[in-house]
Amino acid sequence: MSSEPIERRVSYIGDRLRGSLCDICKKEYFRVRDYCGSCGRKSFGKMKNIDFFYEKGMLEVCTLIKEPTNKFTKLGPYIYGIISFHNGKVRVPGRLTDGILKEEEIDLSSFEDREVVPRFRRRHTVQQSDVIPTISLAFTFADEYYPHQKHEIVKPKKEYKTPGIVGYGAYVPKFRIKEKTIERSVPFIDEDAITTAVEAGKMALIHSGVDPSLIGKVYVGSESNPYAVKPIAAKVAQVLKLGKEEQTDGVQSVDAIDTEFACKAATSMFKDAAALTYYPGVHTPYAMVIGTDNSQAAPRDELGGELDFFVGCGASAFIFGMHDVIAKLEGWYSCTSDTPDFWRRDLEPYPRHGGRFTGEPAYFKHVVKATKGLMERLKLQVSDINYFVAHQPNIRFPVKAAAALGFKEDQYMPGLKVANFGNTYSGSSPMGLAAVLDRAKPNERIVMVSYGSGAGSDAYSLVTTSQIEEKRRRQKFTVKYQAENEHIEYINYVTYRRFKLGF
Amino acid sequence: MGDHEFMQHKFPAVIGVGRTRFGEHYEKDHEKLVEESWLKASDAAGIERKNLDAGYFSDYFLQITNKVGIEEGFLSELTELHIPMEKMRSFSSAFLNACHAVQSGKYNLVLVGGVEKMTDRWDKIRDDLMLLEDPWSYYAGCTPEANHELMLREYIKKYKISGETLEKFNTALAQIAVKNHQHATKNEYAQFQKEIDVDRVLKARAKAHKPLGRFDFAPVSDGATALVLASSEVAQTYTDMPVYVVGSSSATDYVTFPSRDERTGFIASTIAMKNALKRAGISIRDIQIAELYDQSTLLEMISLEDLGFAKRGNAWLDIYNSCKDYEGFYEINGQKLFVNTNGGLKADGNPLGATGGAQIFEVFKQLRGEASERQVEADGDLRFGCTLELEGFGTKAYTHILRRD
Repeated sequence: MSSEPIERRVSYIGDRLRGSLCDICKKEYFRVRDYCGSCGRKSFGKMKNIDFFYEKGMLEVCTLIKEPTNKFTKLGPYIYGIISFHNGKVRVPGRLTDGILKEEEIDLSSFEDREVVPRFRRRHTVQQSDVIPTISLAFTFADEYYPHQKHEIVKPKKEYKTPGIVGYGAYVPKFRIKEKTIERSVPFIDEDAITTAVEAGKMALIHSGVDPSLIGKVYVGSESNPYAVKPIAAKVAQVLKLGKEEQTDGVQSVDAIDTEFACKAATSMFKDAAALTYYPGVHTPYAMVIGTDNSQAAPRDELGGELDFFVGCGASAFIFGMHDVIAKLEGWYSCTSDTPDFWRRDLEPYPRHGGRFTGEPAYFKHVVKATKGLMERLKLQVSDINYFVAHQPNIRFPVKAAAALGFKEDQYMPGLKVANFGNTYSGSSPMGLAAVLDRAKPNERIVMVSYGSGAGSDAYSLVTTSQIEEKRRRQKFTVKYQAENEHIEYINYVTYRRFKLGF
Repeated sequence: MGDHEFMQHKFPAVIGVGRTRFGEHYEKDHEKLVEESWLKASDAAGIERKNLDAGYFSDYFLQITNKVGIEEGFLSELTELHIPMEKMRSFSSAFLNACHAVQSGKYNLVLVGGVEKMTDRWDKIRDDLMLLEDPWSYYAGCTPEANHELMLREYIKKYKISGETLEKFNTALAQIAVKNHQHATKNEYAQFQKEIDVDRVLKARAKAHKPLGRFDFAPVSDGATALVLASSEVAQTYTDMPVYVVGSSSATDYVTFPSRDERTGFIASTIAMKNALKRAGISIRDIQIAELYDQSTLLEMISLEDLGFAKRGNAWLDIYNSCKDYEGFYEINGQKLFVNTNGGLKADGNPLGATGGAQIFEVFKQLRGEASERQVEADGDLRFGCTLELEGFGTKAYTHILRRD
């Protein structure tokens, strides 16, 4: 694709698989249409929008693609076929993604007549300088790693006095690399920080039951945006239809912004998102914050390669608001200093790392200061806190910080997920928070403290409400589910580097 | 249609055909190929180029593969003619439009030509083909071959073909390729003039772990074809053996194959053939020789059903039974049908914009009894032949019925 207007039109339809339904004859179409081919002029104004973003389809027939067209060669062999939706009312072409195929064992009929879920992925390879094309004509089986989940808008029951988390979601790719004590998540070759951000946001919408059109702002924090200039947040807003959709103008009535501050790019915005929904007189019922990273590291034998033992891939999303809150945002404390422990200059492919300097003067200094600052501000004792979640660049740092602050294992272990997923950078401490929210009971206090190199920390105190338990039923795709899934595929270092590099 | 009625229709007639060999022509550019084919056609027809009233020309994607824009301009320069010329996507489309123009009485002598130069862009040709066939399928990762394989999967599911029957079915498809290669050994213009056997076709599939393999698909080719079309009156001044175009039709279908309701055949082919037969006033059983669009072995089989030669779900069995001891024709419903006697797209070659011209070339030669080694032996007089050409994966279908006077 060399034309940006064409790319805009294709992604508008393809990213969310939009279509139309004729209200007269009930015929359904993939792609948006102003009138029905069968009913003609009388159907003007009688076409309804439909989309297949939260639907499941059926892979009817398929074939193996071993010699794809040029832009798909990096995928390796893949399955391509015809997918039907709504009992065959609509059929679309699609490829199966997330698969490493052993072609000699392939029996096409074993793939056919199985339910599939549309995913959001990169479409194909382009030049480094081109717009990155995306699409949802990439599917995975509903009975494997990524289950099909219904998206239902739930009318809020209760308004709180304090804003807080209304819903959340986490997404980690199904591929892992296992080395010594640490398992790390690896994106499939068609995934990146953009696609994982959308997935996490989708999970948060499913969990919260919030009407996406009531989300007034979305913040996406990342340090691995594949673009130096172009926001991930715009893609998230459009694909997830955040804010009211103004279809005639082709815009979403939502504010969308990317933020960057190493691994605290997302957590920094929690207070801003919460405060925004609290602002009187302006109707912004909800705001979404996503931390997403396909964490970057140089290959092991290169400068900065020490990070290659720890980086993961994943995203987590949180919706803030004042209705049906599951965890009230009680308070925060942030601190910042100009500490150059980790950086990446413009046009450099990989970040550099300050070695031992990233420990005491960087991570520990800020994490401990922020936590203590928060506890002082809110007059909290260690015993008042049920869960402590810290940024997790490795296993040692968060454990040592927790111990130094006086926390016990039962307080910090539930939120320690680095051994499962690796360091998901901007998604790291939020991923730990998601894991804790997955299990916390009502009226428990969670302290989460992030760390972003460069350097700074945000510490937050959250208190759960009674609604945390009832909402839990809406989310199958929990952090634990993703950490212990039977469909996880382990890959070797060579494949890991190939996947990481992407399309 | 009786002979009297036939003469009243004043059908346009083909009076001469010409073509290049299909295959790789690295050393020749598209103009050279066009020149070669049209000189042969005009020579065969015995016309002078200044007598031409118009030109209809076809190439599928010369703009992309050879970076040329207004093809008519090159042709004007080549022929030093300033007559009206139009460029279509396929030869059959150019031919259909030329027939319309002649039949309307506007032109009396028209040149129809087609060319394609695909090997110049070998590295990107499959991307080009797929993107032009259907962008949405392309974006989803489709290849030019994959739709054929999906249709095959749909077919065996629909007709519940499995086990031993499936083995027979697969053999029947392989026999199509074998048969077409066998025909091409007698065609001096064919891209592949060598025989293959069933085992080789099956092995290529097994090696690829795919339902269709290398020998099931038509190749990428360069080549050009041309013919001279004349009104019935003018035709008689040039030849006493004109071949009349008694029925021509086309039909269309969705660009995205998966979105179609019918996925075990092409409704465009069925509709186009029905209309062509109606115009010709004959039935499908009158047709003795057919040049079908075997982009894959599957499509030759499917086309037999689409056009009405074979019963739905049954063509593969007709092929299987005919090819056990192949005698040069398919026997379907107790009747001989000669199919792709030039070797088809599979062995003759498939330079898209020129392919339809090779089909008409073959039927023309056969009807006039000028096919030398390839000449078929019909039961009784050989009078009717037809061609089927597709654009995209069944997005457009063109059928032409030719008749010897």
